[in-house]
Parts: sequence; C-alpha cells; structure tokens
Amino acid sequence: MAPADLLTLTIAQAAPKLERRELSPVELTEAMLARIATVNKQLNAYITVCDQQAREAAQAVERLIRAGYYLGPLHGIPIALKDNIYTHGVRTTAGAKILADFVPDEDATVTARLKRAGAIIVGKTNMHEFAWGGTTDNPHYGTCRNPWNPERFPAGSSGGSGAAVAARTCLGALGTDTGGSIRLPSAVNGIVGIRPTIGRVSNYNVVPLAWTMDTVSPMTRTVEDCLTMFEVVAGHDPLDAHSAQVPVADYRAELGRGMRGLRIGLIRDYSLTHVQKAVGDAVRSALKAMERLGAQVEEIAMPSIHGNISAQLTIESCEPSTYHQEWLRARPQDYGEDVRTLLEMGEMYLATHYLQAQRYRSVLRKEFLAGFKQVDVFVTPTLPFTATPCGATEVVIENDRKEDMLSAIMQFTGVPSLAGLPALSLPVGFDPDGMPVGMQIIGRPFDEGTLFRIGHTYQGETDWHTRAPKL
Amino acid sequence: MVKKEEMVTRETVDRLCVLADLPLAANRRDKLVAPLAGLVAAANELSRKMAEGGRRGVLPITRFPER
Repeated sequence: MAPADLLTLTIAQAAPKLERRELSPVELTEAMLARIATVNKQLNAYITVCDQQAREAAQAVERLIRAGYYLGPLHGIPIALKDNIYTHGVRTTAGAKILADFVPDEDATVTARLKRAGAIIVGKTNMHEFAWGGTTDNPHYGTCRNPWNPERFPAGSSGGSGAAVAARTCLGALGTDTGGSIRLPSAVNGIVGIRPTIGRVSNYNVVPLAWTMDTVSPMTRTVEDCLTMFEVVAGHDPLDAHSAQVPVADYRAELGRGMRGLRIGLIRDYSLTHVQKAVGDAVRSALKAMERLGAQVEEIAMPSIHGNISAQLTIESCEPSTYHQEWLRARPQDYGEDVRTLLEMGEMYLATHYLQAQRYRSVLRKEFLAGFKQVDVFVTPTLPFTATPCGATEVVIENDRKEDMLSAIMQFTGVPSLAGLPALSLPVGFDPDGMPVGMQIIGRPFDEGTLFRIGHTYQGETDWHTRAPKL
Repeated sequence: MVKKEEMVTRETVDRLCVLADLPLAANRRDKLVAPLAGLVAAANELSRKMAEGGRRGVLPITRFPER
C-alpha cells in the first residue's frame, strides 16, 4: 500500500491485513514515524518519539507473524501513550520539568498489556503538566495544537494523544482521565475516547493526579477500535489496590445489536443547557438519529447535579496537592505557573470541604443509579464549547459572558468522574468554523459494553468519524 | 453567613500558609486571594447542602462499592 493510504487505516482495517501478511508491521510503523516527522513540528503532539524502539519492536512482531504466531488485533499496530504512563527504558515526564529525566525501570500494567498484545509504541504524547489542566498548553515541552486548526487548542490533559490520533500519526493512543482528560481532547479533536468505570483499567505505574478519580483508557478514530484496545487493557490487576475484581464482559458481542429498545436519558435543565449553539444543535441532531435507529429519549430529573463543579474542583485540588506536597516545597520554580497556583490553592481547603465533596459523590451516584432504573444511558455534550484559541484562559459559552476555562470545561465531564461511571465521547458534528463537536454517553458501572454498542451503531449511520483534518 | 469578599483576605492566606507550613512569597500569596475566595465560597455552599439533616447518613466515597 502507498504510505498515504496506510495513514487512513483504522485498527479494524489494518489488523486483517497484518494477519494475512498483506501489510507488514515495519511498513505500517515506518509510515507512522514518517507522518510524525512531518506534522509534529506543527502540532507538538509528542514529547518523545520512540523511533528506534518502535522499529525494533516492529521487526520483532513481524518475525512472530512470519513464524505463524498472530497475537490478535493489536499485533503490529502503532500506538502512542500519554507521557504519564510508565514505559520501561523510555523517559516518562508527565509533561513536567520535575520528571524530565525520569526513565522508569518497568512498564505500567497497561503498557505491558499492549506490548504483550503485539502493539508497537511509537511515542509518548504531550499533556498538560502532571495532567492538572485542560488545555495542554505546556510550558516545558511546548503548546500542543489541534490538527483541525493549529491556532486552536487540543484540550487536555491528554491533548497530545487526541492530536496524535486525529492527525493520523498512530492508530490509537492511551490517555488518562480524572475529570475529563480523555473525553475533552477526544471531543475537540473529532475522535472517540472512553473513560472507564473506576477500577476497570489498572492505574499501576501511571503518575497520579487524583487517586480517587484517576483512570486510563484508549482514544481512537472509531468506536470499534476503542473497544479493541479496551479489551486488551481492561481487567483486574493485583498490583493496583483500586483495581476491581469484576469479570471483563464480552464487549464485541454488543456490536451489531443495534439501538432498538435502548432508553437514553437527558438530565433535566442540565444536559442541553448552557452550551454553545453549534454544540447543542449537533447533540440534538445526534439524538434524533439515535431515535430513528430505535432508541427512546426521555428526561430525568437529577436534583443534586449542580454541585458537581465545586466537588470536582475540591477533590481535584486536594488530592494533587497532597501528592505534590514535597516537590511544591523543594522545587516550586520547576512547575508551570498555572499548575503551581492550583497546587498552592489545593493546600488551603479545609478537611471538611474535601470530605463533603466526597460525600457529595455518594449522593450523585445514588441519583444516577436510581436514574438507571428508567434509562440505559445518559447523554450530554462532552464539553459546552468547541476548541478555543491556544493560550485562552477564558471562554464564552453564551450571552458574551467570559467564564474561567477550568470550571467551564468540566461542566459535563466531571459528573461521571465523580460518580465513578463509564463515559464515551464520540464525534457528532462540526461547528461553523469546522471544529469538531463531541457527545458524551454515560453508562452504568462496568457497562462499557452498552456505550460501545450505541457508539458503534451511530457510527454505522454517520460519517463524522471518517473525516480527516487537512494538515 | 460570611460574605464571599470577606471570606478570603490576604491575612487569611497568610494564616493558611502558616497552618500548611507552606512558605510562599508575598507576591504568590497576593495572587491566591481572589481565586481562593471563589473556590472556598463554592465549597462552603456545597458543604451547607451536604450538612442538611436528611443527609447525615451519607458516607464519603473513596472506594467504589462494586469492588
């Protein structure tokens, strides 16, 4: 295949070609490394490109295929990892100056699982420093940019993974998501990303942000590819004290079941409230498409929903400030200004604030679990606006009123994070400037399968996910 | 109820720095006053809601129950 054609392949398209030896892992990896060399100066999606390791891994997995050992649908697939996920022998900076020289002597569990499945790690992606922020405007490794318009931000904190996938420099990536850090960059870069149920995917050897909310998961161009990566990384890990002992479901069996009979919930006065017009229009249009496919949409009241931003900011302030307590005193000058300020403020909450926020999570979760007796999933926009200019610290959502970026960006993604629920973001349209719009689907605990089912059915009827940025 | 603008002053930040054993320069303390006032006011509002009598039995989540 011509190198340009290789860039268009999804995992689902590449895997059978690799298995049948119509395509070689070396050829595919070289195409991705060449693409990275072409676009990374413009996008700054990668902090470290693993040229040599990727070439060696590609040759090794190619030998396995030639010898008749095909490991499955990730065998020979080039993947990128967010730079807070440990990689043995490859520096893992977490986007921070403080960890600029940190080279782990072992892999994260998710890295090891991907490698065992035959995936090839092509690089470590840019991110908001220590994952504490939503813009990937990184003061140490440079501003990451959105492939749909490099003047706009890729969101964050997994902005590099989002830009890397959207720019066709890899077939999938891992990100981490505490308050929205997978779903936000998935939405603004026009790709798919899932936040798993807390405990579904191991956090072992991943630099933490907030221990009670952190998750790791895939970002891809299609829902089917997301499922393929998720199947590999999901499952109990005895090395992670928060890992769930819940069997991994047969997610693939959910594909092809369609949407008939599914009940989709909108949270009253919340799901479609306080959003930019283009975002609201795209999500309403997606809901209509889902109704045509046989789903029913109904409104559900959730009286406690409006405390979520404060609860999230409190927990996401106190937990990182605890983790960073020693570095903040010893090396304060080595933090970027925004993260340093957030870490300083996190030391100034009262213990009662933190515990009331954790108690709020119980209330919110209870309301969701009650709601799931009436509907199968809830839907919101992923974020209330489309990609803003790089460097913006404020955003206008409606009525010309400027709002603080951090609070505004968490409007919808913080809710499943607090309630410990899985949530999928998928592309559902574009704004008049050609910037992608994402929709968030929130599921029951450990019911990622229904999210894949809905997303895959929707993508079977729409073409948003097939569109590519012009770079 | 304490007014938002009175809740966090430069003196409050000074005292919190002492309590947290966090030696911050004066310019950094100044910078924290306004954003901290907003965050603390919101946190206090949530605390008031969570302190209501009907919610006395609610436990904090730090581990999820399905494990």
